[in-house]
Amino acid sequence: MITIGKIAEQAGTTIDAVRYYEEEGLLLPTAKSGSGYRLYDAQAVRRLRFIRRAIDGGFTLAEVRALLEVRQATSACCGDVRKLAIEKKLQIEGNIRALKVQSAQLDELIADCTDASGTLDECPILDALDRPRQG
Amino acid sequence: MKIELFYSPGCTKCLEQQEPLQATARQIDPALAWRELNVLEELDYAVSLGILTLPAVAIDGELVFTSLPTAEELTDAVRKRLPQRT
Repeated sequence: MITIGKIAEQAGTTIDAVRYYEEEGLLLPTAKSGSGYRLYDAQAVRRLRFIRRAIDGGFTLAEVRALLEVRQATSACCGDVRKLAIEKKLQIEGNIRALKVQSAQLDELIADCTDASGTLDECPILDALDRPRQG
Repeated sequence: MKIELFYSPGCTKCLEQQEPLQATARQIDPALAWRELNVLEELDYAVSLGILTLPAVAIDGELVFTSLPTAEELTDAVRKRLPQRT
């Protein structure tokens, strides 16, 4: 059994993060010491690493919870996990698409502003942002 | 009318249920085009439709169902779109 500091270190995260995952119900201490310290076994370390990797992969806490549930469900199969990963990819690709649109809009604004020495009243970027939306 | 079913490869539920759903839709519009799309092969298109969950069903290029509809729900959706095409 190891302490919260050790499990955080082994999973490459912080004590605060471990506490947060516990508050969110993603992780539970395996036991408590006589003096009330949280203690964790090897399985908890594995679970915490899983949580960290999933978060690094872009999954939200709710999605990590779903992944953990699928992992424990006896009726689930790899296809269920793959589906969650594909749905995450769809979300990320959608975000990339939206960001590209925003980036292109910024390109237009930047291109419109040819005289950086002008006054704020003449600033085409502020003017464009102030204009009502078309359509 | 064009109905597109986006599925995650390996989703047996999608493949099992697509046949009765297709039959239901064809009863209302025998001329409809029905496509089953592996989302990984049509990712850009799926993203352009705003698909975030699977399976999903688009009708005439519009995301209508974010999960497999029941036969009744699909019937309603197809019927609703029929008058617009006449």
